[in-house]
Amino acid sequence: MLKVIACFKWVMDEADIKVDTGSRRLILDRVGYKISLYDRNAIEEAARLQEQHGAGVVAMTVAPPTAKQCLKDALSRGPDKACFVNDPSLVDLEPAQTTAILAAAIEALGDFDLIICGEGSSDLYTQQVGPALAEKLEIPCATYVNKLTYMEGEKRIIAERKLDDCMEVVSMPLPALVTVLPDINTPRIPTLKQVLAASRKPIDNITLDALGVACEGCMQTTGILAATMERRRLRFGAGEEDIRAIIGALLKEGVIA
Amino acid sequence: MAGIWVFAENREQTLELLNAGKGLAADFGTNLTAFAWDKQWAQDYITHGADQVLLLPPLADGQPLESCVPVIAEKAKTEDPDVFFITATQRGKEIAARLAARLNAGLCSGCTGFKVDKEKKSLAMERMLFGGLAVQTLVPATRPQMATVPPRTFDPAAPQEGREGNIRELPAIPPSAVTVVGRTAKVREAVDITEARIVVCVGRGVEKKKDVELARELARVLGGEVACSRPVAEELHWLPEEVYLGISGKKIKPDLYVGVGVSGQIQHVTGIRDAKVIFAINKDENAPIFEAADYGIVGDLYQVVPKLIQELKSALKA
Repeated sequence: MLKVIACFKWVMDEADIKVDTGSRRLILDRVGYKISLYDRNAIEEAARLQEQHGAGVVAMTVAPPTAKQCLKDALSRGPDKACFVNDPSLVDLEPAQTTAILAAAIEALGDFDLIICGEGSSDLYTQQVGPALAEKLEIPCATYVNKLTYMEGEKRIIAERKLDDCMEVVSMPLPALVTVLPDINTPRIPTLKQVLAASRKPIDNITLDALGVACEGCMQTTGILAATMERRRLRFGAGEEDIRAIIGALLKEGVIA
Repeated sequence: MAGIWVFAENREQTLELLNAGKGLAADFGTNLTAFAWDKQWAQDYITHGADQVLLLPPLADGQPLESCVPVIAEKAKTEDPDVFFITATQRGKEIAARLAARLNAGLCSGCTGFKVDKEKKSLAMERMLFGGLAVQTLVPATRPQMATVPPRTFDPAAPQEGREGNIRELPAIPPSAVTVVGRTAKVREAVDITEARIVVCVGRGVEKKKDVELARELARVLGGEVACSRPVAEELHWLPEEVYLGISGKKIKPDLYVGVGVSGQIQHVTGIRDAKVIFAINKDENAPIFEAADYGIVGDLYQVVPKLIQELKSALKA
């Protein structure tokens, strides 16, 4: 049986983030959390392999224990089982730390054929964890995949990558890792039945101690501030006089001629 | 050993990184190294500021570009550079992440700028968080100090005749488990929007596909090109994906950006923040685009744009 691991991250919903305009501080005390957008595509792609090839799917995440509700959400999207690597210290992790912990957890899990990650997370969007994880596990990877084909019997996958200037089709032996783009599939909206079934699925609780992985950060974050843009913010009405005034100003600035 | 290293997929991006690295090499009192895929560019990179060029051997048939990672990582382990900038194209981002994993080094993804601490020889690097909502400042605690830098973040380095440097060949690239079985160039459906001096952007406030023509007419009068926000390309497919602007789309630096019915979500604004002048037309006075604009008209685009076209025709004719 094809064994698939879909990695996902439980992230702050950026739509809930407010900004204190004076200090440029982010106000995070009322934010909700969600499965990172592109990770839903990763889980969906694993679920597709489960439906079409009978793959066994494990959903894996690294988070503080307070993120427990992410498991039901992930499991309602198809996976057979969840691996919940949790510890109160697992907050604000750098990509290198997330990678090291995932690598240790996957090694502890043992057998796998394919790891699927989203192209990047919707909070940090560093796009590092997928390829870095492949490197740590010493397996081949294909990033920015928008079409995935499992060659049954050959233990191989064909992945179509959407790159800046071309589409590239690559073939690689399993075990391997892919990171997927949002256009690879349309993530399902779980039905009530799937949500109910999710609560009966098994969950592996893995502690950091059990993994025995030390993970110091490689970078120091010295500041997080709301992005600003110095603009003049001049408001005009829709009348002809207003329009002429703006055209006059644009001519004067030399941006139109 | 030390030095500032830059790696990019092509010449244009290499010159941009050389420009970023040049000042840094002077600040750190060290030299500047560029990677080249082709011998013909090696001297060119030296002319544009490199003191040393590391020449990558040609790839075998079916070998992906990313298989250069082990060779570059080995070189970095022996030479221990201070800083390593890599272009933030998709291939560049994969290469950088894998190099950082091999070197156990931190990596600042999508670095938009940096400040230099000359004494400590360290960088404070900035990047966007939460889809462009916030700016994170990172100081690496590991070596090399690594970052991926989006194309067009820096201007290309200027040539300086008579510069000299050395060219060294790297060992052969080992075979990779990944085989390229096909490659098709993307069919370019649109103009290169990043080159346009004036950009008229279509947002969701434009109600029907045929109304895109209104934006086209405005662009024609202004001598500009038409772009759009992400949903207009990805959900509605009214315009090609190459012209949507934003954090995950194109980043532009035109003289003038005109937003037509663009609400101005932060993800979009991130793609236009380097425009010299931003002019927005939207009927919703609370649209966030007005916070990001120099000139804003609160009004129905279906009334404003035709009037604007008419006024521009007479003003620009004179």
